[in-house]
Amino acid sequence: MNENIWVLASADSVAIATTLILAALGALFTERSGVLNLGIEGILLTAAISSFLAADASGSIWLGLLIGSLAGALLAGIHALLSVVLRANQIVAGLALVIFGTGLANFLGKPVEGKTVTTIIHPLSFGALSDIPLVGPIVFGQDIITYASIAIAILSSLYLFRSRPGLELRATGDDPATVDAQGLSVASIRIRYTLFGGLLVGLGGSWLMLAQSAAWHQASTTNGIGWIALALVVFAGWRPLRLIFGAVLFGFTLQLPFTLQAEQITFIPSALMQMLPYLATLVALIALSRPSTRNKLGAPKALGTPFVRDER
Amino acid sequence: MRSPIRIVFEQRNETPKYLSTLVPLISVIAALVAGGLFLLATGYSPIDTYSNMLSDGFTSSRGITDTLGLSTVLICTGISAAFAFQMNLYNIGGEGQLYLGMIGGAWAGLALGDRLPSFVMIPTVLLLGSLAGAVWILIPAYVRSRLGTSEIVTTLLLTYVAASLVDHFVYSPGSFFVTKNSAFPQGRLVPDSASLTAFGDTSLYPTFFLVALLALVLYWVVKRTEFGYRIQVIADSPRAAHYAGINANRTTLSVMLISGALSGLGGAALIVGPFGRLDPGITLLGYGYAGIVIAALARNNFSAIIVSGILFAGLRSGGDKLQISTDTPIHIGVMLQGAILLFALGGEAFRRYRIHAVRAERAAQ
Repeated sequence: MNENIWVLASADSVAIATTLILAALGALFTERSGVLNLGIEGILLTAAISSFLAADASGSIWLGLLIGSLAGALLAGIHALLSVVLRANQIVAGLALVIFGTGLANFLGKPVEGKTVTTIIHPLSFGALSDIPLVGPIVFGQDIITYASIAIAILSSLYLFRSRPGLELRATGDDPATVDAQGLSVASIRIRYTLFGGLLVGLGGSWLMLAQSAAWHQASTTNGIGWIALALVVFAGWRPLRLIFGAVLFGFTLQLPFTLQAEQITFIPSALMQMLPYLATLVALIALSRPSTRNKLGAPKALGTPFVRDER
Repeated sequence: MRSPIRIVFEQRNETPKYLSTLVPLISVIAALVAGGLFLLATGYSPIDTYSNMLSDGFTSSRGITDTLGLSTVLICTGISAAFAFQMNLYNIGGEGQLYLGMIGGAWAGLALGDRLPSFVMIPTVLLLGSLAGAVWILIPAYVRSRLGTSEIVTTLLLTYVAASLVDHFVYSPGSFFVTKNSAFPQGRLVPDSASLTAFGDTSLYPTFFLVALLALVLYWVVKRTEFGYRIQVIADSPRAAHYAGINANRTTLSVMLISGALSGLGGAALIVGPFGRLDPGITLLGYGYAGIVIAALARNNFSAIIVSGILFAGLRSGGDKLQISTDTPIHIGVMLQGAILLFALGGEAFRRYRIHAVRAERAAQ
């Protein structure tokens, strides 16, 4: 068995984890404010194609990432308008966003179906460090957004648990009435973090396009990563640091079929191997909802419920 | 500083009847207008696009029968979604349950072969498809009722598993479902005894009437039976249901299984109807996801789902033919589905609340 390929596989797991970390962080910030946005998959797709088109037209990776992120925030803005301002059913609003985002992305992507983006994100080079066996490819073989996503997750953790606005954010998700009594606007906090969450998801989608996929293939560009990201937030107990580990773990199951194929391990049919990440996520979700673990997870208490002061 | 004018939401005690019809209607129109502006902005002609969709979807005789044919499966996934949604159970995996319905239906058709007459075969295929759909939701339903695991993500994840399963059954060598010695992998056609005949030269099958009737039966079940009453009580107040001695866990399990079976029925209807074989192309069509939109637009009302199902079938069928008649990408159909649902959700606020602007001093009181 080729040892090298497993090292590369581990490096790939860390790489694929980038989208998962960013998308799940986006969902985490949104949910911490008390808003449930199930539209992640649609936002990822729309961001991916937006970044593709922007990077292709301008030749700039950075513009691609920027436009993709903004597209993510824009779609999240629709969700904020519906669920915070108009108090719609957040679950159905999120699903509507998935359908709308998928249609929109496929519509925009029609002219470039199957085409490869001209500029892509390359891994950074650390000279001799990248050549260290084992550690080199995994730790020093990633691109700038992958490092940035881990940094953002660590900063998010500090922000959430060690800062005043972080405290206000958590309070808004747990007990909006108290936040309101403090004279803060629940609606404004929720709208802000829903938009910020969309921005992060958008960045994740853009990276997926410009570094991983590089070619536009409709829905298979994201292939359910948005849903796995949502499960990951539960898995991480709404904590950014745990999310990093979960993302690498899920990243591993996502790239495993490709590694096994490269290793020519074929006694398991490839179609069945492709089920693995979804089955693993499913098992993790079920295991986590046992009564003994549920209370420790700490879901925001007001998650998914609109805050209404005017009503009696 | 607060702005001098504030928007106030005042809960309506009673919703005027006309609003329940007017709001979805305006939502559809608003979404079409927004879609038109989008088409204009992206360099397509909204008038050409819409007039083609209208004639290919509704007004031509070919168009309307195609629409009714397509609406069969969409009404199935619509009532499947609504049956769970009405109890605040969000089965969004109807898509995967539909694939399983196709697998189960095709298996029944192929395994029983030509030995049985049509009047036995057709119901068997439909029943096995429904059963397969129910089996596919069994785990999410069980853990939802026992452990409270949110059904939203679990049902959805299984859709991806189901898609891989369809691929496996079609592309793995020597599969039971495919034609032997064929140049490329293709599902085997079920025997004639397991296929219905379409009306004349159309793609409208008798299953349409079966499904429409089923929607009406469900309407009756929910409004008039003890089971339906239990669902309503649990949906309105789980606590009240608990004190009334209603076993919510068991009702959750049955409602989700029925929901899965209804999506499965949609898949089996494709086997006895237009497809006739297990076709991996089903995973690209999104009929199950459309059911969510259809149910939400009809506000989980089973008789209204027949109408919204036909409306969406027309939108899809007209949209799918766009690529031939104009150069507009067919995805505009799916986009409009999403947009209509988004507008309908926004419009819901106007149904539930009286929304008006007041001066800040008054609002502060």
